[in-house]
Amino acid sequence: MPKNTGRSLQLVLIASLVLACTQAGLAEEFSLTIGSPVAAGSFRAKNAVFAIRSRGCPVPAKMEVSGAAEGLVDGKRRTVPLAHVAAMPTPGVYTVSREWPPEGVWVVNLTGRCDQAIRGVLVPIGPKGFLRESSKFFPRPAGQDEIDASLRSLAESLRQQTPGSSH
Amino acid sequence: MFDNHPSRHLPAYLDGKLADGARRLVETHVAACARCRAELEQIRNGMALVQALPVAQAPEYVWTAIESALDRPVADGRSPRFHWRFAAAAAALVILAAVAFWYVDRPQGEQWEVMRLAGSPSIGSERITEMARIRGGQWIETDGLSRARIRIGEIGSVDVEPNTRVTIVAAQPTEHRLALRSGEISAKILAPPRLFFVETPAGTAVDLGCEYTLRCDNSGVGILRVQAGWVAFEFEGRESLVPAGAVCRTRPGIGPGTPYFDDALGRLMEALDAFDFQDGAASALSVVLAESRMRDTLTLWHLLSRVDPGDRLRVYERMAAFSPPPDGISRQQLLALDPASLSRWRQELAWTW
Repeated sequence: MPKNTGRSLQLVLIASLVLACTQAGLAEEFSLTIGSPVAAGSFRAKNAVFAIRSRGCPVPAKMEVSGAAEGLVDGKRRTVPLAHVAAMPTPGVYTVSREWPPEGVWVVNLTGRCDQAIRGVLVPIGPKGFLRESSKFFPRPAGQDEIDASLRSLAESLRQQTPGSSH
Repeated sequence: MFDNHPSRHLPAYLDGKLADGARRLVETHVAACARCRAELEQIRNGMALVQALPVAQAPEYVWTAIESALDRPVADGRSPRFHWRFAAAAAALVILAAVAFWYVDRPQGEQWEVMRLAGSPSIGSERITEMARIRGGQWIETDGLSRARIRIGEIGSVDVEPNTRVTIVAAQPTEHRLALRSGEISAKILAPPRLFFVETPAGTAVDLGCEYTLRCDNSGVGILRVQAGWVAFEFEGRESLVPAGAVCRTRPGIGPGTPYFDDALGRLMEALDAFDFQDGAASALSVVLAESRMRDTLTLWHLLSRVDPGDRLRVYERMAAFSPPPDGISRQQLLALDPASLSRWRQELAWTW
């Protein structure tokens, strides 16, 4: 093969590779966002605890959301699978309503799936609703250690907020 | 153009025969006047009733009798055709008048259950012992020790707190409307938006699927606090959208103030009060912008369309620093207060509230 032709092919190959990488980088990566129920934009969300939506999912309506409420009740771990993660009229928007008991300390462990992409989020629940600042997002489903750590942190935080508690 | 109420213009309004200016005046008045809304509804219902009347075919013997009568000589010289037409028209008028009288005079709308929660609430002059029913036009009053609960059709309930006067304006399946004269109510409504309304001297709270408390003193000054969902508070074209966790103050003649979250900084709340209801707009805006947090984009979003055009850029830039507008919406569109652009930005901002 003449030297010039081979070199031209190499340049074309490199350019194609760079272009493909660039396009992949520009496309928004699949991620999850949480917000207050009013963000769901529907009266059906009125009694929800929080809303969740996807970003970067090519077909938002096809995102699947599932999860469970993970709790500490009287020192014992409990898991309540969420049966009613509700899809809202806006594609890719869901709400989570309370399906766990009022006693104890709870975090909601959610997994969102968009085609082959999976993301996880742990949402601690405080006395006045979900705790946005304490929520943690993962590039995969949350692990058991992470769930336990979140519960311990929440329990300690709530204990410190209780009047008369010792530090 | 209108003395007090545009009653004689309502039929022409429904027929679309008013000029644009007059039509807008009627619409503005009706939006704020419960009496005219009720009257408009009656006229609309009456027109629908007439249109719904069936066209009945007369039995054959009637036409045979008419023809026979027409063939007979007339003793008084007047055409028999005249007598029949006159009689038929008179009969039709009598029937129509009777139906219309019955329709207008019948009990208006549904009756709602009222439960005594405490003390001795009353409906008009009648004390409620345990349960009662209330219909349109009737008043519920509570003294300092009394509370009552109104079941609002099938869509929810309203608790009437002590020292409160509230009346039922409309009790229809498609319109559930109260008027709060003074005191406090707590509403829990689960229904599609814009089925439940509460009028106050400062404007109307429009349910968008929510729970809220609404307080109003004897001078009409009020405060709306939303616990769940959204409430729109409207007065003569000025509207505040108040989500869960937020508060909106109201004033007669001004309407809703700028909503803010109940955990906003004190200086921000004071500045908003000055901006909305006093004459401290210029200095107040600077304080609001300086004291605002990410969550206060609710407040800033409303201010965007309420500040002087020369200040709009300052508000926009503060908002954009917290949460840039979504893709496809330009700064120019937002500064021009394009409704669709503003609505999209609000929907995006709501994820940070």
